[in-house]
Amino acid sequence: MIDIKKLEILTESAKYDVTCSSSGSKRANRAGGLGNGAAEGICHSFTPDGRCISLLKILMSNECVYDCEYCPNRRSADVPRARITPDEICELVINFYKRNYIEGLFLSSAVFETPDRTMELLTETVIKLRKVYNFNGYIHLKGIPHSDGALVMRAARLVDRMSYNVELPSESSLKLLAPQKSKQSLLLPMKNLKEAIIYDKENGVRRNRVLPAGQTTQMIIGASPESDGQILRLTEALYRNMNLKRVYYSSYIPVVKSNKLPAVGAGLLREHRLYQADWLIRFYGFDVSEICNKQENLAPEYDPKCAWALKNMHLFPVEINRAPLEVLLRVPGIGAKSAYKIVEARRFSQLGFDNLAKMRIVLKRAKHFITCKGKFYGADNFAQVKTSLLLDGRKEIDEQLTMFSSPDTALSALTGNI
Amino acid sequence: MKIYICDGSLQSFFTAVFDAFGDESSIITSDNAIQLSLESEIIKVGFDREKAERVIRGIEKIDREAVQDISFALRSCDGLKEQTCLGYIRRIFERKRPVKKAYNFPEVTEFNDILYKVTGETHRLKGLLRFMESASGAYYAPYSPDNDITELLMPHFAERFKSEKFVIHDLKRKLAGMYDGHEWFIGYAGEAEVYLSEYEKAFETLWKKYYKAVNIKERPHEKQMKGSMPVRYWKYLPEKKD
Repeated sequence: MIDIKKLEILTESAKYDVTCSSSGSKRANRAGGLGNGAAEGICHSFTPDGRCISLLKILMSNECVYDCEYCPNRRSADVPRARITPDEICELVINFYKRNYIEGLFLSSAVFETPDRTMELLTETVIKLRKVYNFNGYIHLKGIPHSDGALVMRAARLVDRMSYNVELPSESSLKLLAPQKSKQSLLLPMKNLKEAIIYDKENGVRRNRVLPAGQTTQMIIGASPESDGQILRLTEALYRNMNLKRVYYSSYIPVVKSNKLPAVGAGLLREHRLYQADWLIRFYGFDVSEICNKQENLAPEYDPKCAWALKNMHLFPVEINRAPLEVLLRVPGIGAKSAYKIVEARRFSQLGFDNLAKMRIVLKRAKHFITCKGKFYGADNFAQVKTSLLLDGRKEIDEQLTMFSSPDTALSALTGNI
Repeated sequence: MKIYICDGSLQSFFTAVFDAFGDESSIITSDNAIQLSLESEIIKVGFDREKAERVIRGIEKIDREAVQDISFALRSCDGLKEQTCLGYIRRIFERKRPVKKAYNFPEVTEFNDILYKVTGETHRLKGLLRFMESASGAYYAPYSPDNDITELLMPHFAERFKSEKFVIHDLKRKLAGMYDGHEWFIGYAGEAEVYLSEYEKAFETLWKKYYKAVNIKERPHEKQMKGSMPVRYWKYLPEKKD
């Protein structure tokens, strides 16, 4: 059985990785096997920081040969080190899973000895879990940059999701802060995996299909000088060219003293705004050029959809009973779920403001941009609309700030591993 | 005013719907403690196969998913669930088409609300249920859910555990879902005495350590934790017990 001290060290080192999702895979159980995938994802517990526990998130080792400037596990850091074996990991996963503590495994590692040796042991672990322990639950495996492509592909046929962290939003920042990782070492395996996923899809491969839940990535915001416009363009390119399921952002907070790193953190509001913009790109039909110019940052005062609408007031108000779904999605205050509800409900009868209220659609922001059966209840002029949205945005900012009020929000944002 | 009191079974409910349908003022309930007014007339409803099946067939002709939705909604702990379902059924027959997405009808919103509470709790418990390994090797999970969802959880865990035996025990309703490695069934179960396997304590300790270590304590947000994992469920979670 795994040593409890090692479990503690390797969990502490893994906890800064943002990903925990277990959705997107419908892997079936087999006779004599244990576990399956739940496409909708299942959360098994929640920690006092408000995050969910879905997967057992752990590093195989935190003994790293790399010296990435921002990472608490970098070679030159003075921290307790540990390593565990593939069998120790398997036994823990199986026993946690049988008690319904977890939905599966999120396995990552610092690069010990060489990248190939690290990837080899990670792959050995997933092979054992699937073939020896007959485990069919969810596995998310972190890819090790600079490791052998055939080894990566072998692992990819056994796990549900993989991720290579792009770490930083530009090549020059990567060179400065993570000199042992190159852009190519992160993007090439990502591209190979994408092509393998497409191949399997086009050829109807069913058994040992490559990454049924796709790929994700993560980058640190604010440790380097890139603007939100640049970051979102990179995001959009990753979604388009690499077919990623998610891009995660983590705002930089100075824990590691270095003259190459800023002394102040990026703040969580910036991270929040980037996620809002990310959602607009993925679910609301926005193009990044509509949201933010290349050298610009997102406005902190209100969410990016409000900012866009204020610049495009000539498109509003729109009539709730006639506007197509794509247009409803662009109304500030109307989320994807509400837009869908409106489209469904208006098949039954014309909707008035009272109907919208009963459907629990929040009109605080939306009322300035819509009419119901021709009636308009928004503010009279542009200045008033702007003031009202600003007040609303102010509240949102305060909520965000109290949420993370502790001054040494420390450590918070580091990706940490690999 | 007529009050139809059914026995809590699905068939008895649909029988009552048949009888109550023509009279807009009538009430269906399975709650024996209902407050009665002087002019109310109490009618105990048993099970009449023909009446129940006529209602079910009538609904299925219009909306094939509605009967299952109603059967889920009737698992709710809401005292007015039969009345809410009756209102929903009336809307289906009135419109002669599926009305689940008629979000602007108050009867539909009320129905969707109790349905969502049942399916939502089922989803939540798929994550929050905790099993213990017994000395005999079977897994045992005690809990007391708000709604009667044991039957809805059984297929999920039977598929996952495949050849492992397990019991899900609803202590509030004294019901247990039992799976023998092949089939599952629901039965009455009062109190249970479980002898734990010799490894149980050790894995529970590892889990508690993991729970503590994965938390970022510099970023507290208890409100969010409690919103996603309400305190009433903590009693059965080893990581929250002490």
